[in-house]
Amino acid sequence: MRHPFYLGYALILLGLVSFAEYRGWSFLSVNQVKDIPKSVRDNPGAYRSHYGFYPRHIGGK
Amino acid sequence: MSAPPQVKALNCPNCGAALTIRASYHTLTVVCANCLSILDAKDPNLQVLQQFEAKERILPLLPLGTRGKLRGDVYEVIGFQVRTIVVEGVSYSWSEYLLFNPYKGFRYLTEYQGHWNDVSTLKSVPEVSTAGRPTATLLGEKFRHFQTSQAQTTYVLGEFPWQVRVGDVATVMDFILPPRMLSRETTASETNWSLGEYLPGAQVWAAFKLPGSPPPAQGVFANQPSPFKGGVKGVWGMCLLLLLLVFAVAQAFLIFAGQQEVFRRTYSFSPGSGGEASFVTDPFDLKGRISNVELSIFTNLSNNWAYFNFALINLASGEAYDFGREVSFYSGVDSDGSWSEGGPKDDATIPSVPPGRYYLRVEPEMDAGASTMQYELVLRRDVPSMGYFWIAGLLLLIPPAFVSFRSIAFEGKRWRESDYGGSSSGDDD
Repeated sequence: MRHPFYLGYALILLGLVSFAEYRGWSFLSVNQVKDIPKSVRDNPGAYRSHYGFYPRHIGGK
Repeated sequence: MSAPPQVKALNCPNCGAALTIRASYHTLTVVCANCLSILDAKDPNLQVLQQFEAKERILPLLPLGTRGKLRGDVYEVIGFQVRTIVVEGVSYSWSEYLLFNPYKGFRYLTEYQGHWNDVSTLKSVPEVSTAGRPTATLLGEKFRHFQTSQAQTTYVLGEFPWQVRVGDVATVMDFILPPRMLSRETTASETNWSLGEYLPGAQVWAAFKLPGSPPPAQGVFANQPSPFKGGVKGVWGMCLLLLLLVFAVAQAFLIFAGQQEVFRRTYSFSPGSGGEASFVTDPFDLKGRISNVELSIFTNLSNNWAYFNFALINLASGEAYDFGREVSFYSGVDSDGSWSEGGPKDDATIPSVPPGRYYLRVEPEMDAGASTMQYELVLRRDVPSMGYFWIAGLLLLIPPAFVSFRSIAFEGKRWRESDYGGSSSGDDD
């Protein structure tokens, strides 16, 4: 094998992306919140998500 | 087969210093190391042919009389000369060592800034083509023109089988096919061809059993073999194989991914209706291993926007995945023609969601005056996302691109010293 380091690099890379794919990694920025009260099901408005306070973009040319 | 040459001891007629002639039958001129007189070796009285003054005495890296084994034969260093070319007002000098074996004849070692060449004269004449950039063909192999220069002999020591003089000028045309170099030397009376092969200094030191280490090579020499030759093609070939492997693994994930639809429902949202906008969906099951969940939002938005706050909440543990998505779609026609921006559809992939029973909290937002929006939410489990494989493919290109860059830079340095400086002729690969 003429390029053992390249092969090693490639296999590590392939292993990483395969693991990422298997575990369902994503680039989406998600805020994980623990212990959401069960009452949210009865009163959805009582819960305000972390993303609820972000400024909105209003598009259009 | 090798044997020590016969050595003949004489004295310089100019200064009386002892002279040594090692290749007596072949030697035409000998230089007195003491007074730098060039003497006629065929004259019984050693007539002085020329006396030259040197600004400084030059000590050859291979002392005269040193013996070494080259190509399996023992050679002795019998002559040394320095030759100089002037390019754009700058002088460049190199050393030439004349080696002698009584059975094999003469060969040369040349040295320039730590770069060595093993040179022998050619009996056959290469075919030169001057159409376009000149080339020289020897035994079917094409050498590319590198440089033409006027080389002047500026220093001599030892003995030579020709009438050497300081100040001798020859037109030298060099053609290269690394690690070899063809040189054509033309004087008023003759043309000689020689073939050189690049030698690392360490090999010369080992051949002549010289103490210490050779001077380090500086820069890139004309026929210095590229350390990347063959490597560029090899690494790109391997890159192709690895990209195919990545593609195959990506295809396997595509084929074996579950892509199970776990939820689909259509809703409408009227921003001006008042009341609480947020709601929760019916629970649904996410099965299998830890994997992603893809949420697709299909809307009927047109020249409008909507923002969705989502929370995917585990019914049992109360753990939530919070995220927000904006969907906006605008289009129209203006002086530039028709245009559009955004789209009525959006996808989001929630990473690494453990199996369990979940529900979705949805909170849409729109401009207060916007008309009613119809939208559909679709959730799918274990959806292949090829993004990482694209990234892997791009990262796999980095090492071969780096090797190619180094190779091109090496060739650029080589050709910068040629008559074609600045316009690299490209890789020899």
